[in-house]
Amino acid sequence: MATLTDISLVAQVAVLGNKRAFDELVRRYQSPVRRFFLSQTLGDSQLSDDLAQDTFIKAYLNIGKFRGLSSFQTWLMRIAYNVFYDHVRSQKPTGDIDQQAPQPVYENPTLKVDLYAALALLKPDERSCITLQLIDGYDIAKITDITGMKEGTVKSHLSRGKEKMATYLKNNGYDRR
Amino acid sequence: MTEDNDLLLRQFFAETAPQQIEDNGFTEQVMRRLPMRVNWFTHLWTAFCILVALVLFTLFHGWELLFVQLEVFLRTMPTEPLLGRLFMAAAALFGLFLVGVGELISSEIARK
Repeated sequence: MATLTDISLVAQVAVLGNKRAFDELVRRYQSPVRRFFLSQTLGDSQLSDDLAQDTFIKAYLNIGKFRGLSSFQTWLMRIAYNVFYDHVRSQKPTGDIDQQAPQPVYENPTLKVDLYAALALLKPDERSCITLQLIDGYDIAKITDITGMKEGTVKSHLSRGKEKMATYLKNNGYDRR
Repeated sequence: MTEDNDLLLRQFFAETAPQQIEDNGFTEQVMRRLPMRVNWFTHLWTAFCILVALVLFTLFHGWELLFVQLEVFLRTMPTEPLLGRLFMAAAALFGLFLVGVGELISSEIARK
């Protein structure tokens, strides 16, 4: 099973309803999906696991719609992105998404500079673009594919987000270590 | 300046962001929560096979063939040599074995 490509596993799930093939896909991609949600929820591991589970269930139910135009991981991350924004909207249906910032869960309270405290400075769209590029290693084209944003929008979110985070890190002496 | 910021941020994320998250039972939780998914292909294929079988059975008067074969079997059974009877018994057992395997596969698919 380890040598099978994503496409053949997807075909087994879509055509034969093979749950073992889907089990393998979950094992392969649980880490990037959960890491994405951890960043978006600022370290809330319970919420992030719930959202990751919803992502995989949606992927399972809609796997017949996967056309292979992008990689399976990109397709999965697009679902994850939509699941997160559906969650944000459901939390505050009348509010502005950009104004909602969950409280960061500090990994190590003794550290002066914390990943989630730094990410909390960003608007959700900026945070998504920054983490997709700097943690998950996607290029701008893949980020536009995942988020559905235009290239210019992604670039401006990246630029603003990086500026905010760099200023925060410098103000906290991270660059002088 | 932008490149400096990029370098600083890359270093920061490399040091602080989780690189690999261990599964720790996550996959099992997902698999337990998966809803039943209707496999339309399997259902369509089964329906198609049944339809073809019914059409052929009607077209070739399958019931007549069945009765003739049954009658021949019953009339010749006492005169059949031992080997022939053993062959018939083996064929019947093989048929039952196939049905059993089919049942096992179906239950395994349902369990998964």
